[in-house]
Amino acid sequence: MTAVTGSKRTAQGESRQMLGHFLGLMGKSVFTALVLAFFVIPVLWLVFAPFDAHPGLNVKLPEFTFNNFKILFENPTAIASLGNSLILALGSMVVVLVLGSLASYSLSRVKIPGRDLLLYTLLLLSSIITGTAAMVPTFLLMVKLGLIDSQFGVILVLSGGILPTVIFILKDFMDSTPKSYEESARLYGAKPLRILWDVVIPLARPGLATIAVWAVVQVWGNFLVPYILLRSPSKSPASVVMYTFYTEGGQPNLALISAFSLLFSIPVVAMYFVVNRRYGFRFHGGIKS
Amino acid sequence: MASITTRSLIKEYPGGVRGVDEMDVTIHDGEFFALLGPSGCGKTTLLRTIAGLEKSTSGSIKIGDREVTNMEPGQRRVAMVFQDYALFPHMSIADNIAYPLKIQKVAKTERHSRAEEVGDKLSLQGLLERRPGQLSGGQQQRVALARAVTSRPDVFLFDEPLSNLDARLRLEARTFLKKLQLDLGVTTVFVTHDQAEALALADRIAIMRSGKMQQLGTPREVFQRPANTFVASFVGSTSMNLLKGIVSDHTVMIGRQRVPLPTDAVGRVGDGQEVTWGARPEYLGVSLGAAPGSLEGTVTVSENLGASALITVELAESGEPVQVVVSEDHEPRIGTRLWVTFEPRRTLLFDAEGLRIGD
Repeated sequence: MTAVTGSKRTAQGESRQMLGHFLGLMGKSVFTALVLAFFVIPVLWLVFAPFDAHPGLNVKLPEFTFNNFKILFENPTAIASLGNSLILALGSMVVVLVLGSLASYSLSRVKIPGRDLLLYTLLLLSSIITGTAAMVPTFLLMVKLGLIDSQFGVILVLSGGILPTVIFILKDFMDSTPKSYEESARLYGAKPLRILWDVVIPLARPGLATIAVWAVVQVWGNFLVPYILLRSPSKSPASVVMYTFYTEGGQPNLALISAFSLLFSIPVVAMYFVVNRRYGFRFHGGIKS
Repeated sequence: MASITTRSLIKEYPGGVRGVDEMDVTIHDGEFFALLGPSGCGKTTLLRTIAGLEKSTSGSIKIGDREVTNMEPGQRRVAMVFQDYALFPHMSIADNIAYPLKIQKVAKTERHSRAEEVGDKLSLQGLLERRPGQLSGGQQQRVALARAVTSRPDVFLFDEPLSNLDARLRLEARTFLKKLQLDLGVTTVFVTHDQAEALALADRIAIMRSGKMQQLGTPREVFQRPANTFVASFVGSTSMNLLKGIVSDHTVMIGRQRVPLPTDAVGRVGDGQEVTWGARPEYLGVSLGAAPGSLEGTVTVSENLGASALITVELAESGEPVQVVVSEDHEPRIGTRLWVTFEPRRTLLFDAEGLRIGD
């Protein structure tokens, strides 16, 4: 702040400065409020609309009712689809964790020429595999493999898309486990898989937990892959089924969609809290010894 | 329990650097053996090659009468204690100690009773349920030792076992280690860069430099009769005084001063030969009056060592420094003119290549 000298001019300058400060503060607050609103309004809609007797696209305090949920629970495909989502998410998580830890451990320990190039290329290509661009070839490949309308097929494609990132992150964790741990185990006669299981995996657990959550979230919210690769509605996951909630008039059935959206988001949020409490999210490896 | 024999053992890294170069060593059954040298001399590489963690380029390693050169580390029946102890942080102390037994598929109850038994022997009572992170450095080291003991190996390998401990604890651990090795009687090889540690612990010491063996002998041998100037200056808490000189008329000329030939070198050198004269500061004395066959000089530095002092004497004319350990009662003032005295049998002579002259 300015030094107080007592002269009139400084007092004037001071009040002008105060005004500037005040306006700046106002501007900052308004900007923050706008940004906040941008993110909060959809969440508010998600919380209020399901309990509203006549939900619209605007956020308003609901005319409270559980009716939307009643309709939802009477819809046979809706609840079954949550089960399907779970199958896809957990299936991919298992595939990703098993293959990801094996691959990252070997890549971390065995020196092969061009390893880093390989990793970066995989990372680059992975966004294409599950993206829109490669959908036609992926579809054709799955037709040839006879894996159309198979949840296993969807799990494979989704895992394939996630794996490079997973390997990339896990390799960092594996790199940071001291080699002497493994060498010590090796001297007592432990084989590589045994070392992985006894020593490396327990130390990489925070990393694995992070990866597991991330994989589930990725698959849970994926629409395109299951939409294209699955045919029977009985196998479709929630993200695809939600797309079918229309009224007879062709309008989106907001009552159903909002209630379903809330149910759809709860598992992911719950999982976040559980894993965060258990392991804490860390994207760095390293152990204090 | 077994001896270890290496024959022309070579470990060459990609790029042609030799970590271990033509190593022929026999370590006797039950011996406490030190590999000593400055960092990068290949001592740890040799240890890891014996363990099987590094693959040898050529040559052979035998443990007892088993040829282990191409064996997996797990089959060699060796146990290694790493510098960082390599305790598994997610396992309890008991599980850490019993880990070798877990690999051998020993039942859980027996594993735990064995862990307790070994833990008692290494004074780890009451710590078995804790995690390594909750233990002090000295305790962690004992856990690492306990784990090594549990596997009942033929050979112990220690990589800088004391370097992670603070100075006072190190002395304690040193005594503990020596007693443990005596009790167990297992052949033990340890790596260190600390000559005092090697002298204190080992039955025999191998001194290495750039992958090559410099000298193999008992602590007394390497201290009193170093094979070359490298060993002479590396071993000992104060390094040996090494002065260039020329043999003339059965004496050594150092600058313009004459000293008698070291006892070992008598009759082995000729006039005019360039040599290095060596004497340990501990074996030198000072005299305030001129003495025959001594070196004249002036005191320039005095360092207190507790019960003694290390003084640096600048020789008259040549100005070369000579260090002498004097007792606290005889510590001269800086600037004092005096004569450095010694017994010829305590001095050594090295030839132009730095090799000691004598048997």
